[in-house]
Formats: sequence, structure tokens, C-alpha cells
Amino acid sequence: MSAIYILIPIAVGLVGFAIWLFFWAVDNGQYDDLDSPAHSILFDDEDPQHKAGIAEADKGDEPKDEPRA
Amino acid sequence: MSSPLPCYHCGLPVPAGSRFEARVLDQPRAFCCPGCQAVAEAIVAGGLDGYYRHRSDSAINPQTLPKALPDELALYDRDEVQRNFVEHQGELSETRLLIEGISCAACGWLIEKHLRSLPGVAEASLNLSNQRLQVRWADSQIPLSQLLAELRRIGYAGHPWQDDEASARLAEENRRSMRQIGVAGLLWMQVMMAAMATWPEFNVDLSPELDKILRWTSLFLTTPIVFYCCGQFFRGALRDLRTRHLTMDVSVSLAIGGAYVAGIWSTVTGVGELYFDAVGMFALFLLAGRYLERRARERTAAATAQLVSLLPPSCLRLDERGQSQRVLLRELAIGDRVLVPPGAQLPADGRILAGQSSIDESLLTGEYLPLPRGEGDAVTAGTLNVEGPLTIEVGALGENTRLSAIVRLLERAQADKPRMAELADRVAQWFLLVVLGFAAVVGVVWWQIDSERAFWIVLALLVATCPCALSLATPTALTTATGSLHKLGLLLTRGHVLEGLKQIDTVIFDKTGTLSEGRLTLERIETLRELDADACLALAAALEHGSEHPIARAFGHCSQGAEQLASEPGQGLEGVVDGRRLRIGQPGYVAALAGREAPAIPGERGQWLLLGDTRGPLAWFVLDDLLREDAPELIAACRAQGWDILLLSGDSSPMVGEVARRLGIDDARGGLTPDAKLAVLKDLHQRGRRVLMLGDGVNDVPVLAGADISVAMGSATDLAKTSADAVLLSNHLGSLVQAFALARRTRRIIVENLAWATLYNGLVLPFAAVGWVTPLWAAVGMSASSLLVVLNALRLARV
Repeated sequence: MSAIYILIPIAVGLVGFAIWLFFWAVDNGQYDDLDSPAHSILFDDEDPQHKAGIAEADKGDEPKDEPRA
Repeated sequence: MSSPLPCYHCGLPVPAGSRFEARVLDQPRAFCCPGCQAVAEAIVAGGLDGYYRHRSDSAINPQTLPKALPDELALYDRDEVQRNFVEHQGELSETRLLIEGISCAACGWLIEKHLRSLPGVAEASLNLSNQRLQVRWADSQIPLSQLLAELRRIGYAGHPWQDDEASARLAEENRRSMRQIGVAGLLWMQVMMAAMATWPEFNVDLSPELDKILRWTSLFLTTPIVFYCCGQFFRGALRDLRTRHLTMDVSVSLAIGGAYVAGIWSTVTGVGELYFDAVGMFALFLLAGRYLERRARERTAAATAQLVSLLPPSCLRLDERGQSQRVLLRELAIGDRVLVPPGAQLPADGRILAGQSSIDESLLTGEYLPLPRGEGDAVTAGTLNVEGPLTIEVGALGENTRLSAIVRLLERAQADKPRMAELADRVAQWFLLVVLGFAAVVGVVWWQIDSERAFWIVLALLVATCPCALSLATPTALTTATGSLHKLGLLLTRGHVLEGLKQIDTVIFDKTGTLSEGRLTLERIETLRELDADACLALAAALEHGSEHPIARAFGHCSQGAEQLASEPGQGLEGVVDGRRLRIGQPGYVAALAGREAPAIPGERGQWLLLGDTRGPLAWFVLDDLLREDAPELIAACRAQGWDILLLSGDSSPMVGEVARRLGIDDARGGLTPDAKLAVLKDLHQRGRRVLMLGDGVNDVPVLAGADISVAMGSATDLAKTSADAVLLSNHLGSLVQAFALARRTRRIIVENLAWATLYNGLVLPFAAVGWVTPLWAAVGMSASSLLVVLNALRLARV
């Protein structure tokens, strides 16, 4: 059971780090807008770079197939 | 007369014969007006037509946005104006704009994409929840005025914006709550691991030494939860005890404080149960509940609060030589001469020096027809100049205007606003009394039986009856209901609306703009000669094409205007359509074209306009402020609730009685000043009535602020919207009927939740009293009851 003497300080240290990270995220405004990020993902399809990426991936994988819509 | 086809951009009906079209998403689409067409074309030209594919709601009609002239926007390029809200970092400038016209998430994408595609814009990001746009741009490449103009091109209005103290404090409080929730959540999980290992149910040959280490570890981890996260509960409990109130805070503090202090004792001595995990769980659940409630209650306060722009930001000042120059409103001084073009708002109280026009005072007084005003007449800031240009000598500014007097009235009414008792508070009071009494009895009895165990049993009782589920009951129901109501088009800005609706017994309606459309609409056409109604309407529309007059809008849009158009302020318009010289307007003016006597107006109600050519009158057009289609439905719903219905209007015309008669309202009063309206409300309050007010104008604002519950129309003035408890965004009175039903369901769910939470706590009491409740069972019961309450509240998400 001597492992616990090391594990407890590690756990406490990890919690401390997690709290520090969380504070940093809150102060950085990551939680200020909880609505838009949920929607913004929908518009990735409109991004020309994203489209180009998909086209390229399709070409690489299955060269004979039609590109997906 | 109207075709059912909705405008592709804004969803309003497209007038028959309209030719506003554009290709969007490879299809020809019809639009209701040149404004929507231009916006759609700008969006397509920017390659952003994906907006139309992804939007979940129609856009706002660009005509409803406040007007801004190019030279007014240019004012924002001046350094002394920018100093207040623009920060410079080397090459780049940074500012925050409040965006008006956002209807769904796709708008955010559209705005960000469009701005980022402009040369010189480094960054643009929109926060959808408070509708603020943060933008960084290079001033040398693109001036701020052009950014604002680009926003307008795609159908949004941007207002430079500076955080005031209140909203900055609100944002800081939100972040602090978030930090507290995070700390409570993260530490609770660790505490749980350590504390649960010491419980007999999970105890696998734990050595006394290890037991001690685990106890000290969980004490170490619990301490920040108590001191960092739970401070607000202890402070609240102290405050309530001083005012001799037993509230939820008192109960929560007893449970958390008791469990923590007992935990320290048992850690030091090594005997007794450990309730540290319960402390963490309480903190997390209660903080989350409060956070949800706050978000539901203050949702839009941030979005609308600062947009109280009753006056135009700038105006045209005349110098000695009669040259006009655009200046900011605050540069204006008493005695200055100001030129107010037709269609513009008056910037200050004053007297007309030159010009003849009519003034629309509907927002201030509730009069539904523009009133004629000429040289020497007094005019009021915030009203709208309708017909001809006016030169005005400034008599009063800012604080001293009549408008400000109404705003002061608003502040007084707000201070007098009665507070509605919250259901949960009342339940908590009884609940706590019962629990404390029971705990005392159990403590005394156990002291006789086994004085060693008495303390631990009372502690288990207090922890097990901690009103965790009880305090989650209201916030979860409010949060889900607020979301559902938003979908119905009713935006709650303050949280007592849903709970308070049950107590309402009287409802006050405003007339102009609330029960009626608030704008002149073509009611009927009476033809006088061979031409039929449609032909006459087409001629009238051609004449009114391009006119700024509010009457012009009633005739719909037409693709081709008249030639040689001339307007005679206060009289009418003259022009040539298809080679035919026509006049529209006052009977005398129109008849004069054919050299005849003016015919008498055949009716009383409404505004009568004559159309005629060189051979005589062609047709009468009757314009009136029509009732909203769903007004009778709303009145019927109010009556079904058993509410007394009052109609209070500032309008002194017989229209008030007419509207009341058509809707079957017995008590209707017209010609009331804002003061008088407030007096009626005070009188009702004195007789113990609970009042719901529905209104839209500035003259309704004091009553909106003072009523127990107030709802402003979506088309209302900004001041009315911010002083009301809810905003009917959709402007459909029918949504309000649905909202009433949802409010009833919400209240039922809250009551169910409260009942369940009390029942659980009641059931657990006997078990705790006989000493069967261990920390494990306390934790299981608490989470199960809280979960049940949350799931029950989620039922409200189904509209």
C-alpha cells in the first residue's frame, strides 16, 4: 500500500493543475459565450479550405469514386 | 390584395406585382422590398449564400433597423468621437460594436465571414449571447464608418459600444460563479474518492494509519470548497437571520457548516462519520442551480440594456449663413438652429422657426395620426418629422426635455415596483421550521438513549434533509421554460414572470402599436370613376414611390415611380404616370388640379386621401391603424383566465372607444398622459390588484416599469423594452396566449418539483431519526432526488 503515499500527492497536484487551467480558461473568456460555438461547427462545410481538404482526401483514398457531395 | 408568398430574406409578405428578384442558391427568389433585395444581392456577391442554407430563422427586414445616413456614420471616424470606445494597438484599432438585427446563429457566421473578407480587417468575432462584435482593423486601410456601412449592406446595424459599470460587474460575477462551480466540481470528485474509501460499505481492510491519511486528505481538499465556493451561502444566511427570515440559505449553511465542522472533529479524533463528499455535492449542485437561474433571469439584460437610443445620435446644425453641418447631439447648445429633414427624429425640444410639416408623436403620446405643425409651434424631442423640412430653435436639451421627464417617471415607478414572493422561498421557510423542530426533538430523545450517538444522528439528519433538490426545483424549470418561450418569440428578461403570472388579476393594454399595428394601413378604396380599385392603387403606389412619408408605405412597393414628382407639404403629391397628370392627398389640393371644389370627406374614422387627375377625383383611399389580427384571441384568453381588462391609451380620438367596442373591452380610457396612466396603476395597486401590462410606446414606459409583470412588443421603443419584464419579439399576440399556457405548465412543474423534493426529505426524516442513514445513503438519496427534479423540469423543453 505504499504506492498511496505517492499517489495522493500526485492526485492533489493534478487537481491543482486542473483548477489553474480552468481559471485560465474562464479568465480568457472561453465560457463567456456558450451559444455560438455550438452552431459555428455547422458552417465548416462552407469553408473553402475544408472543402478542398475533403476533395483531396477523397481523391487520395478512392481515386475512381466521384467526390462526395 | 396581398399574395401569400413570403419574402425570401425577411419573411414578410411580398406585395402583388413586385419585381424584386435575385438569384440565391441557384434559384430566382422574390423579395418584398428593394432593401431585402439589396441585402440578398450583397450576401450572394460576397459568396456567403451558405447563410440562407443554414439559417434557422428569417432575417430582420432592413427597413426596421434605425436609419443611418452616410454622413452620420462618417462622424464616427472623428478622433474625439472614437476616443471613448476605440483602442489603438500600433497599426490596428480595436472596438466592440453592439449588433442589431441578429435573428439566428447563421447571422453570426455571416457577419464574421463578411467582415473578415474585407481588406484591412484583422479579426471579427461575434458573441451571440450578448450580440457584441469584437473587431480589429487597420485604420489606414478601412475607416470605421465603412465597417459600419458594410454591416448595413448585409442587413445589420452596428452601434459603437462601451461597457458601463453595471454590465462589467455582471460579467465579472458570471466569471466568478463559473470559477466557483469549477472548483467545487473538481475538488468534489477528489474528496469523494478519499472520503468514500473510509465508509464501512467500501472499507476493504483499511489500516488505521491509512484511514487517518485519507481523512486528512479529504479535509485538505474540502476546505477550499467551503471557503471559496460557499461564502455566498453563509453571507446570505447571516443576512436573512438578521432580518428574521428563514430561507434556503440558512438551511444550506446549517448542512454545509455542520458537515464541515463535524468533519474536522472526526478527522482530528479519528472517530465518527465523514460527510465531506456531501459538502462538495451540495456546493456543486447549489452553485449550478444558481448559475442556471441567473442566466435565465438576466439573459437579455446584457443584450438590450444599453441600447436606449431614443434620440438621434447626430443632427444638422445651421450656422449664421444658413449652411447646415452635421454635428453630434452633445455638441448642440440651447438657442442653436437645427434643420430637421422629413423622416428624421427631432433631436431636442424647441420651437419651429420655419417650415410646415406634420409630426408623428405616437411613441410619446399614443396619438395614432401625425399632427400638423407650423411656424411658432412647440415640438418635442424624440418625435418624428413626417412631411416637410423644419427649422427648429433648440429650447431644451438632454435632462430638461419632456422625454427625460418621462424617463424620470420611469425611475420612480421602478422603485415602487412590488416584489412578487417566490414560491420556493415560501416553501423553504416552512420546510426549515419543520426540519429544525424535528432535529431538536430527535436530538433530545437520542441524548436520553445514547448521548454518544446523538450528535452524529442530528448531523446525519441535517445533511440528509439539506434542500438540494428543493433549491434546484425552480432554477431548472425556469431555465428550460425560458428556452421554450424564446422559441415561441417571447423573451423573458426578468425571471419572476413565469411564477408571477398566477397571481395576476388585472391586465392593462395600450392601444396604438400594441392592440393595433401602430402604423397606417390601407383599409379600403372607394372608387369614384371608371377606374377600378386595383388600377387606382397602382397609380397611387407610383405616386408614393420613393416618398419617405409613413403614408407611402401603406400603398406597398412598386417598381416604377411617377415622373415630374412634386410634393406640397401638408397637401399631397403631384406627378405624371403613363402620361397622365395625377395628384394624391388633401381633397382641396387634388380637386384644384381639375379646377373643382373640394368634395366633402364621406366618413369620419381614419385618414382620407383623394386621388384625382385633370378631369376630377378618381378614388378615395381610407387609411387607418388596423387592429392586429390576433388581438381578439388574446383578449379571449385573458378573459378565460378571469382577468379584468383595461385599455389605457394616450390617443384622444374616438378610435379608443371603437377599438374597445370591437374587442368587447368595457373599461377603456383615452387621452391619458404618462402621469395619468401611472396614477391608474397606483390606484389598482392600492386596491390590492396584481397587474400585467402590455405596451410599446415611451408613454407606456412608466406603467411598464411599475406593473407587477410587463410585456413590451418587439416593435416597441428601446426604452420600453428595457423597462419591461419580457419582450414579445415576434409581435404576434398569439404567442402570448401560448406563453400563458406554458407559464401555467412551468408553475405546475415547479410545484411538482417542490412537492417531490419535500416528499423525499420527509421520507428520509424517520430513517435519519432512527440512525439508519449513513453518508452513503445520504449521497444516494440526494443525487437521485436532484436528478429526478432536473429530468422533470426538462419536460418543459417540449413546446
